[in-house]
Amino acid sequence: MPARAEFLASIRHRTQAGRYKPTNAPDVAWTREGETPESEPIEDPPARFIEELEALGGHGKRVESQQQAREYVLELATDRDAKLLVRWDVDELEALDVDAPLGEAGVEVVVWRDLTDFREVAGKADIGLSTAAWAIAETGTLVLEGGPGMGRTVTLLPPTYVAVVPVDRILQTVPEAIGKYAGGEGGGLPANVCFHTGPSRSGDIEMSLFVGMHGPGDVHVILVG
Amino acid sequence: METRKPARKRETEDRRQEGLTSGVEGFNDRARRAIADEQLHDSVELFTHKSVAGRNAVLDALPEAPELRERAYRIKQETMANLDRYLEQMAGAVEARGGNVFFATDGEDVVRYIGDLARNRDAKVITKSKSMATEEIELNRRLEEDYADLDLEIVETDLGEWIAQLAGDTPSHIVGPILHMNRERITEVLSRTAGEELPPDVEALGSFARKRLREKFLTADIGITGANFGVAETGTVATVTNEGNARLVTSVPPVHVVVMGIEKLVPRFEDLSVFVRLLARSGTGQKLTVYTNFITGPRQTGELDGAEEFHLILMDNGRSKLLGTEFEEALYCIRCGACLNVCPVYRQTGGHAYGSTYSGPIGAVITPLLKGNDEAKDLPHASSLCGACWEACPVGIPLHDLLLKLRNQQVEEGLAGKAQEIAFKGFESTMKRPVLYNISSKAGRLAQEPLKKNGSVRPLPGPLSAWTDSREMPPLAGKSFRQLWKEGI
Repeated sequence: MPARAEFLASIRHRTQAGRYKPTNAPDVAWTREGETPESEPIEDPPARFIEELEALGGHGKRVESQQQAREYVLELATDRDAKLLVRWDVDELEALDVDAPLGEAGVEVVVWRDLTDFREVAGKADIGLSTAAWAIAETGTLVLEGGPGMGRTVTLLPPTYVAVVPVDRILQTVPEAIGKYAGGEGGGLPANVCFHTGPSRSGDIEMSLFVGMHGPGDVHVILVG
Repeated sequence: METRKPARKRETEDRRQEGLTSGVEGFNDRARRAIADEQLHDSVELFTHKSVAGRNAVLDALPEAPELRERAYRIKQETMANLDRYLEQMAGAVEARGGNVFFATDGEDVVRYIGDLARNRDAKVITKSKSMATEEIELNRRLEEDYADLDLEIVETDLGEWIAQLAGDTPSHIVGPILHMNRERITEVLSRTAGEELPPDVEALGSFARKRLREKFLTADIGITGANFGVAETGTVATVTNEGNARLVTSVPPVHVVVMGIEKLVPRFEDLSVFVRLLARSGTGQKLTVYTNFITGPRQTGELDGAEEFHLILMDNGRSKLLGTEFEEALYCIRCGACLNVCPVYRQTGGHAYGSTYSGPIGAVITPLLKGNDEAKDLPHASSLCGACWEACPVGIPLHDLLLKLRNQQVEEGLAGKAQEIAFKGFESTMKRPVLYNISSKAGRLAQEPLKKNGSVRPLPGPLSAWTDSREMPPLAGKSFRQLWKEGI
């Protein structure tokens, strides 16, 4: 019998021949003694998203127009003294129309396509710019899908990361966001989906917070609309 | 603890050979030394106290927490009952996406697979994100020894794991690998690596680590991760990190290898919504871990980053022996570390006393199960059976019950002393009935009075002396742990 079939047969045998059936389901331990708090619907999802993100040390801002989003990115690039910005190759960021103004401000813009060595670009960029498939209000999370034009390292290697997200992509809860990818076989899933919640951080040294451990420590989300 | 001796100089011997592969005997001696170490005690206290507070706050704010815990238990129960089918489904899904799947019976199989892969790919640098499964099989040491000719540079990238690696140390907690080291010790280790004196502040130490590890991330030939969860339905592997290291390890190198214990499976993608919420809250007191990352196979056509080659190693290493037995629930563990943080034994000894990759209550349960009773027979006794572990467990594993069953097994196998045989026969029947337990502990408080002396209880008489010979027996506290726990400690 081939190794895999043997491996699985052995497991099948154990699960079927085993007489013990676990019955000690969780009980009293987590039952609340006081009143159970109500799960309240989120009244203003964009405001809640910003509140959650800022509690984690990120920066969130809701703007009304592409024009204002563009200004935010420009100002950020100037403020961070950026030389190189790398961005996703997606329609939303074409519409933002920020490449030319950035260029005029002395910031080189590289778009995520036809790169011979992505490490060179993403590893050297001062700012990464992307959009997000979804944003989750209850946690301040961005849901990032990988794919052509949508590099994973754009959101990861530069010390400053900014996402421009249309306001209608805000979901209320984590289960809702996971539900967007559930229910099918693997065929439809992007090779990478990342739920990104606030700046990269570590507490490994005496539980003291260090921000910007391996990913960006400076995270901005602009909600448009 | 006013009788504690002054802090000793920290041990610097190489502890790397203390995974599950190497011996773990000698809990009592290690525990005694640990308890005498004041600095260790402070470090463990800081970590566990903060972790418990964080966890309690964020779980209290989640109305559906009890239901989630119940669901998590049921999902794992269903998974284990059909594990062969779900493993096959996951393998099929990964292969349909162009990934490779390998079933590893033990650590040796894993070492061979990765070593040969490194040889074929002519790999020099391997980056790893924190993985208990690879700690358990002592992957780094075995690759370095068995494939010495490849001269591999294997780099842990979780800040704590990296510092442990540099110090020749092992993680002492599932979630906080170097909680046993204070800042002075960490500064010493990192200064040695830097070749210059670094200031003992978190900013400087963290920045140095970021810079040094960034070079490794960018030049690695192979990235190795564990898996927090594997989804049978889609072939997806979930990793969670706050630092972002697992996302880097899976995004930059051309090859990604996952070493996943077979018990990490969940049937459906939607099950993740139960588990990622429980894991973040129970492990680190967060609503969601910063990088909750889902990988489904290698990068797809047109993608510029992400691994081109994806290898999933499904590792048994003794786990399947537990299926269908009274210990099956030990496989439900999601490695959040909550049971360590609340354990009155762990809080006194820290993790290294257990001498195993897995410490605390879950370690005391699975180490003997995976390694064999006779090699780790101390561990099921490294517990007060207060049940705090079970209460804290987000999957509802009855850890205290499993510890008792292990002790029972030792009695049956003739491994336990006579005193324990007498004690545990009575203890077990009492523990199973909370009312009896409450009555007997109240009775115990009174009965011990004649034996009390200088804050600890004098040696017990007769066959029970074996119990106090190997233990400093403190008197029963004025209030029971159950009572204190209810009051929020």
